[in-house]
Amino acid sequence: MDIRQRITILVVSTFVAIASIGGYATYQSRGNANQVKLVTEGVVPSALASADLVSQLKDVQLATMNLVSAPDANLVSQIKTRLTGQKAKLQSSLELQQQQADSDTQRGLVQQAKESLHNYFSAVDDTANFKVAGQNELAAATLFAGVAQYQTELEQIIDTLRIEKTRSKDAAIASLNSRLASTVSALSVVTVLAIVVLSAIGFMLYRQIIRPIGRMQSMMSEIATSQDFTRRVPVERADEIGRSTEAFNAMLAKIQESSAQLKQKTTDIQAMLQNMPQGILTVVAGSRIHHEYSAYLETILETNDVPNRDVMALIFSDTHLGADVLSQVEAAIGSCIGEDAMNFDFNAHLLVGEVEKRMPDGRVKILDLNWSPITDDNDTVVRLMLCVRDVTELRKLALEANEQKHELEMIGEILAVSQEKFHEFIVSALTFIDENEIVLHRHIEPDADALAQLFRNMHTIKGNARTYGLQHLTNVVHEAEQTYEALRKPRPDIAWDQDSLLAELAGVRAAVERYSHINEVSLGRRGPGRRGVTERYLLVDKGEILETLHRLETVNTGNLHELVAARDAVRKTLRLLGTEPIAATLGAVLDAVPALAAELGKATPSIRIDDNGYVIRNQASGLLKNVFMHLVRNAVDHGLEAADVRTAAGKAANGLLRISLAVADGTLQVALWDDGRGLALLRIRAIAVERGLVSVDEPLSDDEIANLIFRPGFSTAERVTDISGRGVGMDAVQDFVRREGGKIAIRFTDDAVGANFRQFKTVISLPDSYAIQVDDNQLEHLRDASAHAEAQPLSQRGEVSTL
Amino acid sequence: MAQVLVVDDSSTVRNEVCDFLKANGLTVVPATDGKDGLDKLRADSSIKLVVSDVNMPNMDGLTMVEKIRGELKNSTVNVIMLTTENSPAMKERGKAAGVKGWIVKPFNGASVLATFKKLVV
Repeated sequence: MDIRQRITILVVSTFVAIASIGGYATYQSRGNANQVKLVTEGVVPSALASADLVSQLKDVQLATMNLVSAPDANLVSQIKTRLTGQKAKLQSSLELQQQQADSDTQRGLVQQAKESLHNYFSAVDDTANFKVAGQNELAAATLFAGVAQYQTELEQIIDTLRIEKTRSKDAAIASLNSRLASTVSALSVVTVLAIVVLSAIGFMLYRQIIRPIGRMQSMMSEIATSQDFTRRVPVERADEIGRSTEAFNAMLAKIQESSAQLKQKTTDIQAMLQNMPQGILTVVAGSRIHHEYSAYLETILETNDVPNRDVMALIFSDTHLGADVLSQVEAAIGSCIGEDAMNFDFNAHLLVGEVEKRMPDGRVKILDLNWSPITDDNDTVVRLMLCVRDVTELRKLALEANEQKHELEMIGEILAVSQEKFHEFIVSALTFIDENEIVLHRHIEPDADALAQLFRNMHTIKGNARTYGLQHLTNVVHEAEQTYEALRKPRPDIAWDQDSLLAELAGVRAAVERYSHINEVSLGRRGPGRRGVTERYLLVDKGEILETLHRLETVNTGNLHELVAARDAVRKTLRLLGTEPIAATLGAVLDAVPALAAELGKATPSIRIDDNGYVIRNQASGLLKNVFMHLVRNAVDHGLEAADVRTAAGKAANGLLRISLAVADGTLQVALWDDGRGLALLRIRAIAVERGLVSVDEPLSDDEIANLIFRPGFSTAERVTDISGRGVGMDAVQDFVRREGGKIAIRFTDDAVGANFRQFKTVISLPDSYAIQVDDNQLEHLRDASAHAEAQPLSQRGEVSTL
Repeated sequence: MAQVLVVDDSSTVRNEVCDFLKANGLTVVPATDGKDGLDKLRADSSIKLVVSDVNMPNMDGLTMVEKIRGELKNSTVNVIMLTTENSPAMKERGKAAGVKGWIVKPFNGASVLATFKKLVV
C-alpha cells in the first residue's frame, strides 16, 4: 500500500472518529435538552401548579365563609361572582393538571379532583343560594356540612396530587441527572477509544513511513560519507520509499559507472604519465610545478625534486639562456596563468622552445620545450602544460647525419678523381698551404707582396679544387681567398690580424686533410697508387652513394627513429667503403692454384671459402695476399698428396683447400686447411734435431713440435722445390703477420695426440677492425662488384666457390 | 576617430606599436603617458582598445586604467598592458580594474594582431 493511501486512511479515520463522537454527542445533548425542557416546562411547573391549587381552594373557602357572613345582598352577589371566577380558574387549573398528568395515578387523581370540585361548588352554590334567599342558618349549615366536607375531600385529593406531582418531578430530575451522567461517561469512553485507535494507526504509520525513511536517510548519508558507491540500499517495499530507494540505487549505479570511468581515465593518465618517454609537467599559479607530472621528467632532468618547484629553477637553471631572456620567460608565464587565453597567444613566442641545460656532472642536454595552455570553461588559462623532450641524441644524430652527408659528398667528389691525380692535388695543396703559413708567420704587418703570394697560392688551390670538382674544399678555400682579396685593397674596417689569418689557414688545411683522410682511410687509396688499381677499390657504386645522399637529404631530422635508420644505413655504406670479400682479396693467389698444382704433379684441388658474412678492410689485403701465397703453396706442396696416393688412401683424387673467416674475442681469424695427409710431426722433429734446433731426446708436445716450423730457416720439404724452397719459410710468414699486429698459429683438428701426422689448421689472427660484418644482400652486391672489377669474374672460376 | 589608443612614454615602443597597427589597417592614436592617455580617451569615444605601458611618468598605466573605469565611467574599452615584467600584485590590481591582457615586451605584432582585430570590433 502506498504511503499516500495510508495517510488518506489515517485522515479519513480521524475524520470519521471525530464525526461519530460529534454525532453521538449531539444526539445525546438533544435527548438531554428534551428532558430538561420536560422537567423545566412540564414537571416542575405542574408540581408548582398543583401546590397552587391548594391556595386557590383556600381562597374559595375563604370567599364562601365571607359569603355566609356577608351582611347584605350586594356583597353576596359580589362574592358569588368572585366565586364563579374562582371556580372557572380552578377548573382550568385542573384541566391543565389533567393535560400535564404523566401517569394514570395522576390522571385518576385529577379526575377525582374534578368530580370533587364539582360537588364542592354545588355545595358552595347551595350555600350561596340559601344566603341570597336570606336563609342564613341553612346557608351556614350547608357551609359546615356540605362545603366543608367536599372541601376536605378536595383538599385531600389535591394534596395527594401535589405529593404525586412532586414525586414525579423528583423522579424526572433524577432521571435527567442520570442521563447527563451517562452522556458524559459515554462521550469519555468514545473519545478515549478514538484516541487509542488513532494513536494505533499513527504508530503504525510511524513505523511504516518515518522509520524506513530514517533508515534510508542514514544509509544514504553513510554511502555519501564513505564514497563506497558499490553499496546499495536494500529495497524492502513497493511504496514511495521503495521507489525512492530504487531511484537512489539507480543513481548510485550511475555514479559507480561514472566514477569507474573517471577512475579508469585517471589510471590511464597516470599510466601514461608513468610510462611515456616524455617529460610532461604543468605549471600553476606562482610558476610552481604541479605535483602530477610524468615519471620520465625525472629521468630527463636527473632529479626527483620536482613537485612544487619553481619552473624557472627546475627547467631553466644552468641553461645557456641569459638573465633577460629568463625574465621574459618568467613574465610570459605570469601573464598567461589566471588570465584570458588570449594572453597565451600574446606571449607564447617568448616561451623558449629549446634550451641547453648543464647537468651537475657537466654534461649538456638539449631539451625541446613545448608549451600549451590548459583553459577552463571561462577560457581562462588555469595551467600551462610543458612537454620536455631530451633531443640531445636527436641533435647529435642530425649533426652526425649532416657530417655523413658531407663525407659522402666528399667521397663522391674524390672518387671522380683518379688516385694519382688526387694524390698530386693533395700534395700540391699542402705545399701551398705550408708556403702561406710561412708567409703569415713572417708578417705581422700587411705587406703587398706577401698578400699577392698568399692570394696566388690560395687561388691556385681553389682553381685545382674546382677543376676536380671538390666542392666542399672550394668553398673553404674561397673564403680564405676572399679575405686576402679584401686585404689587398686596404679598407679601414678590415685589419691584418695574423692570428685570425693563421686560424683561417688552419681551417683550409683541415679541409684538405679531411679530403686526404677520407681518400686514404675510407677509400684505402693511400699514396699515388698505380694505374688500373683505382677501380679495384670502388666497391660501393656511385649510384648507391647518390641514393644514400638522397636518403640523408630527405630525412626528417625531427624524427629520432628515421634519423637513426638513416644514420645506420649511411654508416653501413661508409663502412663498406674500402672493404672487399676475402675471395676478392685472395683472387690472384687462388687463380694461381691450378698452375701450381700442375707444376707439383697434384690434381687441381677444389677451394671452398666460408666468409661467414665478413668482408676484409683493404688495409689487410696486402698482408693476407702475401701470407696466403705462402700458405696455399705450402698446402698444395706439403699437404695435398699426389692423386694416386690419395686414391690409394680412399680419398678423392683432387684435394680440397678450405679458407674460413670468423670473428671471436676481438680478433679476426682467417684459417686455411686442407684434406691432405696432415702435419708431418715426426719429420718436423727430425729436421729440427738435424738443424740443431732441439736435442734428440728433448721431450716435446705436438704443439711444440708444430711450432718448430716457425723457427728461422726451417724447411720441411724433402727436397728444395721451386715453390716452397725459396728461402721464404714460415718464419718469414710469421714476421709479416706480427708486423701488422697479428698472430699465426697451428691448431690441430684431430685427437691423434703423438701421431706422426695430425690434421691441422693454420690460423691468422688480426685485430677485428680489419673485418666488417655485412648482411647477405650487401655481400652479394659486393661479390658482384668485385667480380665485375676483375677481368674474369671470380664466381666463374670453376673450382672456386664461396659460401 | 581611432580604434586603438597606444600609451607609452618610450617613443621607440610607441612608434613601433603604432606603425605596426597602422600597417595592418587599424586606426591608432598615440599618447605619451597616463594623463595624456586619459585626455585622448576622453576626447575620442570611438576608441575600443587601449594598449598601455605600466611604468610611465606623470601617471602610470594601472592608475590610468583605474581612472578610465572611475572618472571616465568607461567600462567597455578593452585594456591590454604592455610591460617588461609583472608581479602577482600588479596582475591583481589590473584584474580589479578590468585589464584584459598582459603582453610581455618586446612587442611581437604577429602574435597579437588577430586578437586586437577582434577587440576593436
